Amino acid sequence: MKVYQKNLYKNLLYIRKVQEEIIKRYHPADKMKCPMHFCIGQEIGPSAIEPFLKSYDTILSHHRSHGYFLANKGSLKEMISEFYGKSSGTNGGLAGSQELSCTKTNFYSGTILSGAFAMATGDAFSKIYKKTNNFTVTVIGDGGMEEGICAETLNIAVLYNLPILFICENNGYSTHTGLKQRAEYKKVSKRIKGYNLESHIFNSNDPEKLYFLLKKLTAKIRITKKPIFLEIMTYRFNGHVGPEGDDHYNYRSKKEINLWKRKDPIVNYRNKLLKKFKNKFINFENKTISKLNKEIDDAFKFAERSKFPNEYKKFNYQNTYSKIVKTFFKNDIDFENEQDSHKPMPY
Amino acid sequence: MKKKRYLSFSESINEAQIQAMRLDKNVFIFGLGVEKTGHVFKTTTGIKKKFSSKRIFESPNSEMALTLFAAGAANKGLRPILIHHRVDFMAYTFDQLVNWISLWSFKSAGMSSMPLVIRAIIGKGWGQGPQHAKTLHSMFSYLPGLITVMPSSPSEAKGLLLSSIMSNDPVIFLEYRELYNTREHVPEKPYFIKLDEVRHRLKGNDITIVAMGPSVLKSIKAQNICGNKIKFDLFDLRSISKFNLNKIYDSLKKTKRLICVEDGWKEGSISSEIISKVAEEGIKLKKPPVKITWPSSHVPMSYNLEKDFYFDENEIVKSAEKMLNKKV
Repeated sequence: MKVYQKNLYKNLLYIRKVQEEIIKRYHPADKMKCPMHFCIGQEIGPSAIEPFLKSYDTILSHHRSHGYFLANKGSLKEMISEFYGKSSGTNGGLAGSQELSCTKTNFYSGTILSGAFAMATGDAFSKIYKKTNNFTVTVIGDGGMEEGICAETLNIAVLYNLPILFICENNGYSTHTGLKQRAEYKKVSKRIKGYNLESHIFNSNDPEKLYFLLKKLTAKIRITKKPIFLEIMTYRFNGHVGPEGDDHYNYRSKKEINLWKRKDPIVNYRNKLLKKFKNKFINFENKTISKLNKEIDDAFKFAERSKFPNEYKKFNYQNTYSKIVKTFFKNDIDFENEQDSHKPMPY
Repeated sequence: MKKKRYLSFSESINEAQIQAMRLDKNVFIFGLGVEKTGHVFKTTTGIKKKFSSKRIFESPNSEMALTLFAAGAANKGLRPILIHHRVDFMAYTFDQLVNWISLWSFKSAGMSSMPLVIRAIIGKGWGQGPQHAKTLHSMFSYLPGLITVMPSSPSEAKGLLLSSIMSNDPVIFLEYRELYNTREHVPEKPYFIKLDEVRHRLKGNDITIVAMGPSVLKSIKAQNICGNKIKFDLFDLRSISKFNLNKIYDSLKKTKRLICVEDGWKEGSISSEIISKVAEEGIKLKKPPVKITWPSSHVPMSYNLEKDFYFDENEIVKSAEKMLNKKV
């Protein structure tokens, strides 16, 4: 087995196992009291991008963010603690799953649809402004792409030559409303052609294929400093939000669900690796699973042990100024006296 | 004695930006028309020549994405200044202010910051009409996490803009078009004004006036009309976020009379907030407090209607006379 294959399979398993474990522990314990959007079925994007991210690259994600958070080398302990509302969480327990962010690993997300997507422009601009070799990844869904701000964002990214990889995970649904009821197009990338933006569609659930595509695209962005748009056709197996499924609402057909489940990226990739590497793969898988299980269990224990926060008001404002202020703070002219005799005159 | 230097409000803003850009290479300016024709009421004149087009550049009409462009850059340590020619365009950007910028520091538990400035101009006057003349300041002040600054004169504008650019919190800097040609002595060196420090502008014992932005100037003119007959204790709020009204409470304990002057609508105004805070503080007034504001209506264009829509210094004088039962 090659290193990249091991890593890719480990990433896929890691993201799925974490989701499954949270779902398992959600009820009846009720210790994670916040809405969560799981990404079972959609692990392929974060798993394949992980090897190509350097520190100081940024990810700005949609609300279905757990996979990308972990792909960006975010701490699992801090993520689970955040869901528990503990002060050891990534956001000190103030944001929860929907706005999971981590300043130190440059990972940010939010649940009001398309803001993170647009923030990528300024983030990427800072990388050019400071002459670094980093780039920005931003992930959005087919629903988020319907907001007007996305049109503005793509234009600005092309206009200013910003190093951004736009990833649109098209899972066909905005909550429970299918794309068919929302648009005439089936693929989002079809409608962004006019922006003079390089775009790709990935319509396969083969993680290795996506890995090689992302290897090419990320290397290109680092060199050309120009944005690229990539649409990944995917499917969410779990419900829109929360650990309970929502297929009993019949908003998607059994036929469609089964079709995608047959394309399950992890099951298929596992079969492929098993067929090719046999016992070597089994050994690797066993070792990986027991390592991941321990890591996940430790994370929950850490969250359980952590303390609840007792402050929140002070975080609304930084209440600080740039250090540069010190250089002119002392230029404190006798303001009051100067002003008294010089009242502004009207024009 | 050294000759005093007079600058207009526009020149002060221009100088503050240039000095901030010299002090910190992370400061840059962008927006539609920022380095074209009118140079945003001459506030960006000469900046492109002094710096490069990397530090000041044009943008498309995309207020929503531009606002989060500023946010993304600020989150990474740059200090962007985004300019809107009219505050009315900021209505496009409510999601960006409400759901992203204002809560960014909060949701990161203080670990991330957004040191950005959004300069916006309030068109007020000369037929600007319903979509070009309103002011949305009290709507911004409602949001925790944002600082809304309303400078009242050239020297205030310079210091407050420098402080806003250097602030690690997001600042909305509101400039009333009617103030651009006012002139005042403005010191040359860069200087700093604490954003949450109310300024005691005139001293008097008769009536406490709380004002902000251009209503400070109108209150000063009202004082000139009143001469020695009525003396106002005038306060300039400077910032309408994170109120610290201690100085005003002290003044009210002395005057026991309060007039709030505000260029904006009456209901849900900053004046309403001041009066409510004074009531909560338990300060007993001799007369009911008065709000001098715009009528609760959109702004008419027709000159004939417009001149009655906006109040002037005479209205402040009239209210003061009524409150004290005397004529000036």
